Amino acid sequence: MKCGYCGYEFPEEEGIRGCGRCGMPGRCHMVRCPRCFYENPLEPAMIKKLKKLIEKKS
Amino acid sequence: MALFRKNSQSLSSSHSTQAKGKKVALVGNPNVGKSVLFNALTGAYVTVSNYPGTSVEVARGNAVIDGCHCEIIDTPGMYSLLPITEEERVAREILLNESPDVVIHVLDARNLERMLTMTLQLVEAGLPVLLVVNIMDEAERMGLVIDIPLLREKLGIPVVAAATAKKRGLAEIRAQIKAYDRQSHAVFGYNRRLEKDIEEVAGLLRGEYTLSRKTVALLLMQRDEEVAALVHASEKERYEAVVALVKDKSFAHRESFHLDLSLERKAIVKRLVEGVMTVPAQRRATFGERLSRWAVRPLTGVPLLLVVLYFGLYKFVGDFGAGTLVDFLEKGIFEEHFNPWITGVVHAVIPWETIRELFTGEYGVITLGFRYAVGIILPIVATFFLFFSLLEDSGYFPRLALLVDRIFKYFGLTGRAVIPMVLGFGCDTMATMVTRTLETVRERIIATLLLALAIPCSAQLGVILALLSKAPGALLVWTVCLLLIFVVIGFLAARLMPGETPMFYMELPPMRLPQLSNILTKTYTRMQWYFMEILPLFILASVLLWLGKITHFFTTLVDWMTPVMAAIGLPRETAVAFIFGFFRRDYGAAGLYDLQTKGLLNPRQLTVAAVTLTLFIPCVAQFLIMKKERGWKVSLSIGLFVSLLAFGCGWGLNRLLLATGIL
Repeated sequence: MKCGYCGYEFPEEEGIRGCGRCGMPGRCHMVRCPRCFYENPLEPAMIKKLKKLIEKKS
Repeated sequence: MALFRKNSQSLSSSHSTQAKGKKVALVGNPNVGKSVLFNALTGAYVTVSNYPGTSVEVARGNAVIDGCHCEIIDTPGMYSLLPITEEERVAREILLNESPDVVIHVLDARNLERMLTMTLQLVEAGLPVLLVVNIMDEAERMGLVIDIPLLREKLGIPVVAAATAKKRGLAEIRAQIKAYDRQSHAVFGYNRRLEKDIEEVAGLLRGEYTLSRKTVALLLMQRDEEVAALVHASEKERYEAVVALVKDKSFAHRESFHLDLSLERKAIVKRLVEGVMTVPAQRRATFGERLSRWAVRPLTGVPLLLVVLYFGLYKFVGDFGAGTLVDFLEKGIFEEHFNPWITGVVHAVIPWETIRELFTGEYGVITLGFRYAVGIILPIVATFFLFFSLLEDSGYFPRLALLVDRIFKYFGLTGRAVIPMVLGFGCDTMATMVTRTLETVRERIIATLLLALAIPCSAQLGVILALLSKAPGALLVWTVCLLLIFVVIGFLAARLMPGETPMFYMELPPMRLPQLSNILTKTYTRMQWYFMEILPLFILASVLLWLGKITHFFTTLVDWMTPVMAAIGLPRETAVAFIFGFFRRDYGAAGLYDLQTKGLLNPRQLTVAAVTLTLFIPCVAQFLIMKKERGWKVSLSIGLFVSLLAFGCGWGLNRLLLATGIL
């Protein structure tokens, strides 16, 4: 994924996830850029699947 | 000190590594494709761990290249051998302590001239450099022609053209790693006076260093404290003489050694790229490039920012989101249809008045909590996040950081603080957490204070924009008040808190046309997250208010606040919005919206209430994060200071408006 702030490209698993410090219960949908710590929204699973489907068809 | 072990030690570690295989370090500016190359070389077997004694993560992996075992290290991004950030310090420490057999300097072909300065430093330091000119595909698309053999000849080191994301050049990089042999390299000379100064300082050094003496001398003259400590340990009694000479040479005949050296290096790089890189004569700056330049220059950047704020925040979020959409949802759907219907259903199903109150009463879970969340807050945050995602996807935020860097310096902050400040307009709670990315504790405390005080969250901002735009002049008074308080408190905080403001560098990603799919995805995800977070809290707040009502505690609380409200010229009912505001900022703003629609506030009172509520104590969630990030002492001090200042400013503003009759 690409950081919306600094443009750094990083694999989703390298981003910082679920730090739990905001007190938000349950699963957090944000991934922090490992370089600038900016919060990037995680692409919903449904949209990911749709994109894959479109890629396969094309 | 672990940094810069002496050559003898490094060499022995190097020999032991060589017995097992080669150690390869990837270095370069951030975002040049180091990680892509690292992944391509190592595959899936990678370990990521914090570098000892730091919070900086370093990835290591293994690769077998034609039977040769290699350990590959992906170092954090660095701009120069003279470190500024912790990441750069770690990258340099790896280079020097781990004595890699090959140092792969990855640079972006599109910024060849700028990035070659670091190649120059690496070569000058005597490191075994292999240069990878990456992102060649993009450079070629822009019409840039780079003569790789000529660059190789001029630098005297192996140079590979690559586009690692497209797997181009990988085979050659592997071959160069395997065949790498420390060979002679070009020597770059500075002007005669500088060379003489360097030579004199280097001539005094007798110890063994991993870096070349020339580089050690240069780092000393640039006042690198870690190098100074190393030289101290190494030179012992000769150190005083070295310091005296360095001091003399650094300041003799020049105003700034850094500036002189930087200009010299630029001149060398300019000569290096002559004939190596050809820029098409007919190439004109694209609209994105021009827009990027306008956005960072104060003369054009500030008007551009005002245009963005006017159309994005005022017209789109305030006018359309908090006006048109809220009117439609709150009045058209909830007030006219949903609330009467659900009240009827609850009355028919639940016979007990107190329990009915819990769901559909004055502070009912459905008629207040759910209505606030869906009817008022949701349309505002939806428009705000849409606008936010659009700006984010265009690459505007890093430019904003550069633009405000100069102004932020007066508040003890740098452009880096733009991230938490911008995020604060979304939600101050997450923004407070992001303050930990700031370099110094001083910066973190100032940013936390300013966020708690003068940065309204999206929903609060939207409601306030919509409410105040209906009273002529009110929005202007509110904006001036907030700006003034932000500037004065920031200025005073920077002066009262000891410490220096760090420097700020940032690699600018290209400005691009926002993609609709990106914007919609980001908006949807943020809205979903926000809604899932606020709905339970709004419901909980409604239940607590209901409990407060039936136990009469809520009325007592309002009674306690009535004299304070009277002192700032507000009716007793406004206390309700302030109590709401403590649960959440946006909940308080929605309470203000209700008071306004009931006709309880005149323009003066509305403005005073909006200013006081914006400045008022951070909500529970933000306060808890403040405590987590900054500790009890700082968070309680900020909470108390902000509350007193909010009511103090409310009182002052009320007196001023009454005296001048502006509103």
